[in-house]
Amino acid sequence: MEPERQCPQCGRKIPWGQVTCPFCPGNGGHFWSLRRDTFLAVVIVSLIFLFVFTGFIVKRYHRVERRLAQDWFSRGEPALKAGDARAALVDFRNALAYSRDNPFYQLRLAQALAATGRVEEARTYLLSLRERDPGNGPVNLELARLAAAEHNIPEAVQYFHDAVYSEWNGDPVVQRRAARLELVKFLLDSDQKVAARAELIAVAANLPPDAGLQIQVGTLLMKAGGYDDALRLFRNALATEPYSAPTLVGAGECYFLTGQYAQAEPYLDRALLQDPRLTEAAAMRDTARAVLDLDPFIRRLGEQERAKRERRAFDQALTRLEGCAAQRGIDLNAAPSDPLQTLYARAIAIQPSIQQHIFNRDTEWVSNTMDLVFEIEKAAARECGDPHGPDLALLLIGRAQEGTRP
Amino acid sequence: MSGAPATTTAAPPSGARAAWANFRKRMGWLPERERLREPQLFFMLAVIIGLISGSAVVLFRIAIDWTRLTVFGSCLTPSPARTLLVPTLGGLVVAFLVIKFFPRARGSGVNQTKAAVYIYEGFIPFNTVIGKFICCALAIGTGQSLGPEDPSLQMGAGIASALGRRLRLSREKVRLIAPVGAAAGLAAAFNAPISAVLFVIEEVIGQWTAGVLGAIVLAAVSSVVVLRLFLGEQPMFRIPEYHLVHPAELLAYAILGVIGGISSLVLIKVIGSVRPRLKALPRWSQYFQPAVAGLLIGVIGLGLPQVMGAGYEFIDQAMHDEFTWRMLALLAAFKIVSTGLSFVSGTPGGMFAPALFIGAMIGGAVGSVEHHFFPWLTGGVGAYALVGMGTLFAGFLRVPMTSVFMVLEVSGNYSIILPVIISNTIAYLISRQYQHTSLFGLLSRQDGMDLPSMEERREEVTVHVEDAMRPYRGTVFDIEDPLRWALERADASPEAFVFVEDGAGRWFGMKKEDLRRLATPIRPGMSLRSLLPPEPLPHLHPDHDLQEALRRLGDWPLLPVVNRANFHRLEGAVGLPEILEAYRAAG
Repeated sequence: MEPERQCPQCGRKIPWGQVTCPFCPGNGGHFWSLRRDTFLAVVIVSLIFLFVFTGFIVKRYHRVERRLAQDWFSRGEPALKAGDARAALVDFRNALAYSRDNPFYQLRLAQALAATGRVEEARTYLLSLRERDPGNGPVNLELARLAAAEHNIPEAVQYFHDAVYSEWNGDPVVQRRAARLELVKFLLDSDQKVAARAELIAVAANLPPDAGLQIQVGTLLMKAGGYDDALRLFRNALATEPYSAPTLVGAGECYFLTGQYAQAEPYLDRALLQDPRLTEAAAMRDTARAVLDLDPFIRRLGEQERAKRERRAFDQALTRLEGCAAQRGIDLNAAPSDPLQTLYARAIAIQPSIQQHIFNRDTEWVSNTMDLVFEIEKAAARECGDPHGPDLALLLIGRAQEGTRP
Repeated sequence: MSGAPATTTAAPPSGARAAWANFRKRMGWLPERERLREPQLFFMLAVIIGLISGSAVVLFRIAIDWTRLTVFGSCLTPSPARTLLVPTLGGLVVAFLVIKFFPRARGSGVNQTKAAVYIYEGFIPFNTVIGKFICCALAIGTGQSLGPEDPSLQMGAGIASALGRRLRLSREKVRLIAPVGAAAGLAAAFNAPISAVLFVIEEVIGQWTAGVLGAIVLAAVSSVVVLRLFLGEQPMFRIPEYHLVHPAELLAYAILGVIGGISSLVLIKVIGSVRPRLKALPRWSQYFQPAVAGLLIGVIGLGLPQVMGAGYEFIDQAMHDEFTWRMLALLAAFKIVSTGLSFVSGTPGGMFAPALFIGAMIGGAVGSVEHHFFPWLTGGVGAYALVGMGTLFAGFLRVPMTSVFMVLEVSGNYSIILPVIISNTIAYLISRQYQHTSLFGLLSRQDGMDLPSMEERREEVTVHVEDAMRPYRGTVFDIEDPLRWALERADASPEAFVFVEDGAGRWFGMKKEDLRRLATPIRPGMSLRSLLPPEPLPHLHPDHDLQEALRRLGDWPLLPVVNRANFHRLEGAVGLPEILEAYRAAG
């Protein structure tokens, strides 16, 4: 251990490792022995230089940070779009290490987290973003998506609404409409048709004259049960694009679903002229035609025609019953123990006298026969799956009749 | 105006001379009589120190980040080869620099600053500042599990010491200027001026000194202003929302305090027991100790890269519930190991950031577990991480006041104070119960020094006047009492010293034999007033401490102890024998 030394001038202890006393003036060379005020002035000038130097370094470093953040982010964006959320997650984390408070990067990180199933982490990021900017549209939308994925309907609806009324970059009207339409799809998936219809009516009220949009909203309205509003939109769209097959199909479907088969048929027909590959529209048109062809309750039908239709309906139902029983391996001639056997027994019982009653214009009896037809079609649909063609038409006629009865 | 008398005043100085005088005045180059007095200079210097320290800390932080970027690359999870090689090679370089060029840069910096204040009269060589800057930037940047706060504190103190000496401040001011710089450095490193001021008072100075408090605050604030000017207003962490869900949640914070206290204890014990053994190894091994520590940290870093470096970004992630509780617990455990390895190997670097990291991870883990089992009773995990940071601060660094204010300052949320106080107090008490000496005290003793701390001073027994005073058995005279009567009463009194009160609360005193000597011959109508000295006796109050009593006693044999609310009322008397007896009784 070095012995302790004392400064002969000031009497203080000379610290270990020091040759001369650091407290006495003149021991550090000419610069250090400057007068106090001169030294102070030198310090202040040096401070200015230090600030300039620090500013220069900080600026350069921030430039490097920004570049790195941008590099990592531009690697993450395509990865996320390509569905490689895991790689995107690493990239966004790296980007955020160099631009920690960038809300856009944080949003992307949250999206990547959500895509990799780390919902809680994603939610935390999004909530902290929301805390800073409660009116941020994309953040509210992402939160809504997280809530929707968890089937948390009230929370999802709240966040969707917040997103709709938030601020958006770019075209806010388009973004808000997209958010509302996403809400509608979520509501439809959650079987909240009334709420979905209310949202769609709000969207429809502010739609621009864009046929594509009108078709989109009209289709959603149809799914939500708002056939009249949907039909209005399809008609509006047809005014600008009269040969648009999707619009024609939409309008035809609206009529079809509301039981207006006579109006549905020409729209569907025109749609198929434009695009013969529309198989669903073709099936719908065929069904509409079959309904129009088989329905004995259409007004202003002649007696003969009505009788003919009733007979055809009965024969069609009987055929369907036999086919269904064969499909399920049921012997219709055995003692009735199955609903199909019971219905068959009832049909066979009245079959010989049908023509006579029709000829005698026994309307009550005819009505009972048609009821049996509808019962057979319903039972067959229940037991053997959805019908097609004339059977579907008979089922639809039956449903329409049920709706008109007190 | 032809009749006006000619002026006799001297002609004004010529343009050049006036400009020079004006410049000198503006620059502060004033004549000796007009120069700044030392107290004013001290405050001005505090601001300058704050500004310089703030800039130095900004450059230091950038140096650390740039080193990390250069050696590890820009990815947060570097390749395995880099993870193993960089801390090992970095350790070798740092060890070489420390041993060959900057031996004083070793350690965290807090004890070195305290040593400067208490042993070296405020002296910190400027090359320590340079050494600390280079070595710590290299060590932390290459992944050693240490932080930049304590080195910043020492750099600030070093800058202040150099300026104070070169400005030829008085001995007392040079000693006090180092803590001023320490506060500036720490405030900038922490971006939290109040915590820095409190830490310096609590740990470096060890006492509340009004004389230096203003300068410390000025320096801390100016350094933070500089930091924010260059690096922006953003806080160190994105602070989570906090609200107390249920009063029973305070129990959860108490559990956090217990776990935090035990973890602090483990870390202190590890450092306290391993460090002297490594120091005792041959000198050549010191070249390799940081490298071996670096290699081991690299091995940990292969699985848990978060433990390398200061790890602020991961503290932030813990506060935002981005880790599972198992991951948080793992990170806390391995950070304790890696920080212990880095520190005991003699690598220069600070303990603040690791303490914050471990605390945040423990807090997050406790919060996550409690949230899992009692979701209706517990709030967000982030609040637990935040409180956990303060808990480790209280338990590990043993600065309870700083720990509470740090959380308040960092969070900006006063409502978190209750959990913070509960958790910190428990951790502090556990740590103190099983490890009497604080970490910094332990380290200084291992280095052959005994430096005081506020914790020790808090425990020191203060003896008051009331513990020493005895009843005054003689007569208390009024200044107008007749001399003859007073002499008779004084002769009958067992006391050798006479107290006289003048009716206005001033007390006079005189030895009995002096009174008798001066009163001869007694003239009729003479009162005590005519004999008493012009200056009254210094008096004491029962709550004064005995140091003050000794100072006031001077050459007087006895002093009156009077009531604070009634200066006419004598409570007792105290003299040197009574004071010595009281000190003896107090042990």
